[in-house]
Amino acid sequence: MHIPDGFLSPQTYLPATLMAVGAWAWAARGLKSRLDETLLPRLAMVTALAYGLGLVMLPLPGGTSAHLIGVAMLALLFGWRLAFLAYSGVLLLQALLFGAGGLTALPVNALAMGFIGSGAALIVFRLLRRVNEAFAVLFAAWASVLLPGIVVALVLGLQPLIAHKPDGSPLFFPFGWSITLPAILIPHAFIGLAEAALTLFVWRYAKARKWTS
Amino acid sequence: MDIMTPRQKLLLYLAVLPAPTLIHQPALLAAGFAFALLLAGKTRWRILSRSLIAILAFDLSVSLGVVLVGLWQGRIDVDWLLLANLRVLLMAYLGFWFIARCELLAALEGLPTARRLVTLTIGQIRTFERVLGDFRLAFDSRNIARPRLLDRRHHAGAQAIALLDKAMAQSTEVAQALRSRGAFD
Repeated sequence: MHIPDGFLSPQTYLPATLMAVGAWAWAARGLKSRLDETLLPRLAMVTALAYGLGLVMLPLPGGTSAHLIGVAMLALLFGWRLAFLAYSGVLLLQALLFGAGGLTALPVNALAMGFIGSGAALIVFRLLRRVNEAFAVLFAAWASVLLPGIVVALVLGLQPLIAHKPDGSPLFFPFGWSITLPAILIPHAFIGLAEAALTLFVWRYAKARKWTS
Repeated sequence: MDIMTPRQKLLLYLAVLPAPTLIHQPALLAAGFAFALLLAGKTRWRILSRSLIAILAFDLSVSLGVVLVGLWQGRIDVDWLLLANLRVLLMAYLGFWFIARCELLAALEGLPTARRLVTLTIGQIRTFERVLGDFRLAFDSRNIARPRLLDRRHHAGAQAIALLDKAMAQSTEVAQALRSRGAFD
């Protein structure tokens, strides 16, 4: 669901950059002490997996793309802060190496997929873990796709309202919420199912190797 | 000879990138794009083709949406089509131009943790590509006829586990190499 460069107005990406910088600073606190030689290879491996998953994209008419994210597995294995930082790195590499997303759109993409996606996954997982762990992982991964989807759809649909010419014609993204919400959320409700299955696979892999508590 | 350091190139790129979002005249964006093409030298067409491939699907889907809505409403917003497509193309072009001219790891000098993570992640990406290619070749060589769905599912499961194990082993090796060079001290 990357938003590409050029579709977001400065009224959107400038405040988003400020928010993202704050969130990155929060996430990076004490990073050096947490990233030892045991955790770093695991984090790099799952980050690379998330990177690969995000590159298989299907463009959506709502102005963004449909793809697996992989942020839920990062969040469940490494926690909110590391998942957010690692996924921001994924988005940065995808933007620079493949032109998927972009640097002006990076803060919105990182906050939506990295921050909200991993946060949603962790909250849902913790709430449901006592009921059934596998179900908790599945639902957490599904939520980690759908909630960022809602944010991306809201941000894109906001553009014609806040950035337009005096005659009302849009300067950046042209469609409102009536198009962006269904165009993004309906495909992502299904993509969330694939994400859920994949996250459960990685979760079980990690559990078998005693990465998880 | 390169007159700018990787860090300076990164800063210049970050400073120039927002400019197209502040310009709302297609003619000015076209002039900016022509200028960027001119400055990029011999690599300009390769950078342009990469940029076009990167933005094609998204731009086309949004532009087609605008055309369809325009047809339905009886007025196609040609100005928006020109403005948005030029802006998106120019921004993608600037990104690929920067990457073609700048070593990303060198630009991250002074940020050791970010460099470590990027080094390991890029190493992992290469490992994934290589292992996937090997597995595909091995699977093809074992199947004369088209494999059944069940075989494909078993193969995908085995491939995924082997992929993760190999990636983990390689990543651990790199981390140990970093440790022996004092990267975690």
